[in-house]
Amino acid sequence: MTSTQPEAFRRRSSRRTEILEDRPVNLDGFVEEWPEKGLVAMESEFDPRPSVRVEDGRIVELDGKGRGAFDFMDTFIANHAIDVETTEASMAIPSDEIARMLIDPNVSRRDVLAVSRGLTPAKILDVVKLMNVVEIMQGMQKMRARRTPANQGHSTSARDNPIQVAVDAAEGALRGFAELETTLGVLRYAPLVAIALQIGAQVGRGGVLTQCALEEATELELGMRGITAYAETISIYGTESVFVDGDDTPWSKAFLASAYASRGIKMRFTSGTGSEVQMGNAEGKSMLYLEIRCILMAKGAGVQGLQNGSISCIGVPGAMPGGIRAVAAENLVASMVDLECASGNDQSFSHSAMRRTARAMPQLLPGTDFVCSGYSGVPNLDNMFAGSNFDTDDYDDWNTIQRDMQVDGGLRHVREDEILEARDKAARALQALFAHLDLPAVTDDEVEAATYANSSNDYPLRDVLADLKGAQSVMDRGLTGLDLVKGLEATGFHDVAENLLTVLRQRVSGDLLQTSAILTPDFVPLSAINDANDYAGPGTGYRLQGERWEQLKKLRHVTSATNPETEVG
Amino acid sequence: MTTPAGDRTVSLREVGPARRGTREDEVVVAVSPAFAGHFTKTIVDVPHAEVLRQLLAGIEEQGVTARVIRVRDTADLAAIAHLGAKLSGSGIAVGVLSRGTTMLHQKDLPRLSNLELFPQSPLLDAEVFRKIGSNAAQYAKGESPEPVPTRNDQMARPRWQAKAALLHLKEFECIEADRGPVEVEPAFELSPA
Repeated sequence: MTSTQPEAFRRRSSRRTEILEDRPVNLDGFVEEWPEKGLVAMESEFDPRPSVRVEDGRIVELDGKGRGAFDFMDTFIANHAIDVETTEASMAIPSDEIARMLIDPNVSRRDVLAVSRGLTPAKILDVVKLMNVVEIMQGMQKMRARRTPANQGHSTSARDNPIQVAVDAAEGALRGFAELETTLGVLRYAPLVAIALQIGAQVGRGGVLTQCALEEATELELGMRGITAYAETISIYGTESVFVDGDDTPWSKAFLASAYASRGIKMRFTSGTGSEVQMGNAEGKSMLYLEIRCILMAKGAGVQGLQNGSISCIGVPGAMPGGIRAVAAENLVASMVDLECASGNDQSFSHSAMRRTARAMPQLLPGTDFVCSGYSGVPNLDNMFAGSNFDTDDYDDWNTIQRDMQVDGGLRHVREDEILEARDKAARALQALFAHLDLPAVTDDEVEAATYANSSNDYPLRDVLADLKGAQSVMDRGLTGLDLVKGLEATGFHDVAENLLTVLRQRVSGDLLQTSAILTPDFVPLSAINDANDYAGPGTGYRLQGERWEQLKKLRHVTSATNPETEVG
Repeated sequence: MTTPAGDRTVSLREVGPARRGTREDEVVVAVSPAFAGHFTKTIVDVPHAEVLRQLLAGIEEQGVTARVIRVRDTADLAAIAHLGAKLSGSGIAVGVLSRGTTMLHQKDLPRLSNLELFPQSPLLDAEVFRKIGSNAAQYAKGESPEPVPTRNDQMARPRWQAKAALLHLKEFECIEADRGPVEVEPAFELSPA
């Protein structure tokens, strides 16, 4: 070969290269690492080395820093997240031994927690850095807090149309989401859309929990009024500078968390790899190290759970080498410190269907508390969280993957007649309730459209100004969840009223404050207390079998073995 | 790297410290530390020459004059645009980052507020920059133009989010902490075919 040859081959491309260039994966963005600035997933020589020192019952050194040099994250973690009694013993255990404990079925979840509660952020990083994705999944299978995995859905509308949100919530609830979340394009629409989500969810399947992502004060108010049932979008960050940019501190977030707890309302924080470097303030630390600081901060604040898995910054770790491994690791770390983990898979991630699927495997295969912290229960064009990794077009694929692998991703195939019945009922319940509460009317045409619609384009346009006035009146009149119950009862939707009332009563018992709590169709709280993950190797823990497995064997088209000329289902 | 034939380039010649303008019919275009310097194009390869040409044309077609300054001590778009507005005779400025993110600001607004913000840099093309320039000029004349329609693309995240973070970090590297804003004269050139 002469040195001029490579130059000659740059002039034209092969047909194969042209085909590869056109593949969707090449629309995704990929960048090189820059560890000095924190543009690195989880392996950086600039991350601190693990260390801890305790004096007089107080942590005086954390990961190479003396207390005098602590920033407020270090202080919060040292004071509230790490068990001072056990930290020196836990930190003395070699990292590879702790990593082995995580994957060894003979070591119980409880035994791992006894160690992990004494670990510093750098030590936890040191442990998970030893694990490949299969080991991370094996760890997740055991460390997930709730034995039974679940899934969460989004129900939103590009036009903030409350009827769409209600019927897609009803369908989503029927298909299996244990939690449903909405948010808005026009924030002032929130009260109407939050009501619609709640009604739709309780029509689809009693006991589904709902929330409306908003700025923190309004989100809290809707929760306190019983219009929503939980909260999730309370964001935390891994560096002091990013926290301060948002006019927050770990203490202000902990205060907000206690406001929810005081009313028996379930809540979790949100964080994820990439947010700090995205905002230009990673302080030269890897994405996963900073995320582990967030996880311990959440632990220290006393919240029961965390939504993580990069979330809205998924494009950043997604572009880095090993980035999706780091995302899987951050989910595992949340679980290994005994937090509920709502594990991402909730934002548009890739142009490639193969990459979208592969990205979800580390959560779907071992199971997490919520495999998606927002599977889009509406077409992505209607997804006001800026698109999810999966949407309604993917329902049949998701169900098929569950059936192929015999794993429970929280959803199931539902026959169309049942879906149409639920959608129709949700629209009619909302119509009746709005009329009863003197809110803007829902017409029969809208009910009809909602029953058969796919996206917001299939609905008659609403009078937006009238809706916004109605939304404001919900706030001005001080309407609460109980008013919704009364309205449903008065208009003949007794079963929906009963469902909503039973959900509201949970805040009195406080059972939904337990780690990883969801409600079964019988309104039994299922949490890490009464449904603790007891995985101890093959044949133990959650197994997809019995009645649930029979449900998941059903798909849209399955040929009958008895009569191959027909389909079952 | 080769430049396609006939591409327009721009260099910004420093002509002295940026001062407060006295003409009420001017808009300041305030560019970031690395604009048309360390960087030559936006995140989606719109040449900075084209960005500037469209902004200036949009301003001038409204009969308003334009002055360009470079801010050197910050890469925070709100700070750049607000500083530009305070130096602008009309109190109106367009702030632009190297990756293309753009903001219209007015001197009496709080720094963290703005007249119009165009946060999704991958969606800004020549046509949008021209409309932004035109709107800036209309604000300068005391008019209330329709805001330039903002675009949205859900797949911008997987394609551009990490590159945006990288460009942000690079722009930060170009900050010169103790140096004030400087007035610049754009010199456009057509690169040879």
